[in-house]
Amino acid sequence: MRRRLFLASSLSALGLAGCGPVKESLTNGPFRRALLSTEKLNGALIGTHGMAREYRERDIDRNFRVNGLDTPNEAAYASLARGGFHDYRLIVDGLVEHPQKLSLAELRAAGESSQITRHDCVEGWSAIGKWRGVPLATVVAMAKPKPNARYCVFRCFDTDQSGQHYYESLDLHQAAHPQTVLALDLNDKPLDLDHGAPVRLKIPTQLGYKSAKWVSRIELVADLHPIDGGAGGYWEDQGYEWYAGI
Amino acid sequence: MSADAVAPALPVAAARATGKRVYRHGVIARTAHWVWSLAILVLVMSGLQIFNAAPYLDASDKSNPARRVLAFDAQDRGGTPAGYTIVFGHAIPTTHLFGYTDDGMGAESARAFPGWLTLPGPQDLADGRRWHLFFAWALFLAWFAYLVSAAVRGTLRDLVMRPQDFRKLWPMQLYYLRVRKEPPPHGTYNPLQKLTYNVVLFGMFPLLIITGLTLSPAIDAALPWLTAVFGGRQFARTWHFVLMVLLVGYFGTHMILVLTTGFWNNMRSMITGWFVLGQHDGAGP
Repeated sequence: MRRRLFLASSLSALGLAGCGPVKESLTNGPFRRALLSTEKLNGALIGTHGMAREYRERDIDRNFRVNGLDTPNEAAYASLARGGFHDYRLIVDGLVEHPQKLSLAELRAAGESSQITRHDCVEGWSAIGKWRGVPLATVVAMAKPKPNARYCVFRCFDTDQSGQHYYESLDLHQAAHPQTVLALDLNDKPLDLDHGAPVRLKIPTQLGYKSAKWVSRIELVADLHPIDGGAGGYWEDQGYEWYAGI
Repeated sequence: MSADAVAPALPVAAARATGKRVYRHGVIARTAHWVWSLAILVLVMSGLQIFNAAPYLDASDKSNPARRVLAFDAQDRGGTPAGYTIVFGHAIPTTHLFGYTDDGMGAESARAFPGWLTLPGPQDLADGRRWHLFFAWALFLAWFAYLVSAAVRGTLRDLVMRPQDFRKLWPMQLYYLRVRKEPPPHGTYNPLQKLTYNVVLFGMFPLLIITGLTLSPAIDAALPWLTAVFGGRQFARTWHFVLMVLLVGYFGTHMILVLTTGFWNNMRSMITGWFVLGQHDGAGP
């Protein structure tokens, strides 16, 4: 036992035990906090008001790359899809004065915003698409957030193999950016099933995993910690950064 | 100006014979070197981790296979998997090394770089990014501190390339080729050394940091012209990789020279600061 302890400690001292303690301190310890403070520095230095570059029609990828979890196949979603999403309602609730249940027609009537922007995936690739929809800020304003609301949480239809639902979140400042939209169309056609029909988030100033597909509900909350893994999103719960501007 | 640069050469030459000890590297320069060596190792290995998630490089803004510079691929060759490195469309078999290689868990799989080359584990993009961004700050801060301290100590003057140094590059090269018997007169560092240090300090380091920054969507939104300078996001990713390869090349050369130009003297000078002048002076790492 002693011998094993000695071996274990000397191996970890060398950083060989799967990089155990070294990895842990870099990933979650003081180094991690130092890195998060540099994110605040990034925010202070470059700000979050910048506008993502807008491209020309001919720059568009007509076969926009499909990525992420599998297209949802649960009964509720399949039935909505069969009906051409006629019965779809986007729920906006949580810490709001006026909870909303918005049909696609109501969403289209609420406002229009169009952008040809580059989608940058955390994996490293980029694709350009034309997104049309309604600014998220418009929909959030319709629900009138209560003073203690700080985040929009996007609940999605898609699930991973263990049945865990995809979700994402933005703070109200990021939600108010004019290029943050609830997209209904991609490349002048209603979103197809693989690209997040009928409603997805598009936020070109952050990495692709923030742009949640197949959004069913937007919940306004004061705190992200009680939700699922507590990190504010499906990938965030697996170690990816909540602020995905970098 | 030129007399100023040549002046130290005489005392140095005189000191060579005596084996005089000089205090060459201040504490910040030494610390910066150790931080750099660790940071470069971690940055390269965590960078390969990040690269593996999209194992190709394009000379374009968005991803575009028609403008592909480098890619890695695995193919089935009659039941046997083979790995390829594809450079400008030319496939080079690199099975067991790149393309189809060690997965870090005792087997092989389709992946660009092997598991033993990626940090912090065989496949971990989330933590690879965290490590990369953390050590990028370490590299930047060491670079900044080094330049400020060199400027304050006055040693930056020995380092920065001057017009007369460019004229001495060829004579210095001839000396190395053993065509010339004596190197051209120079200060602490010979003109080829100075050129190399200038390229690394004022070229590679800042360009690596800037091209890395342009991969971030928020930086692109804040400073769109910066990404455009490099030809777009995917092109910037390509430059970032090419600069990494060049820096690794410099690092390797630097280490070979540390080993071959009086290893213990070089190590002592990088630990204590004290350097003994001798036959290798002016032809060091």
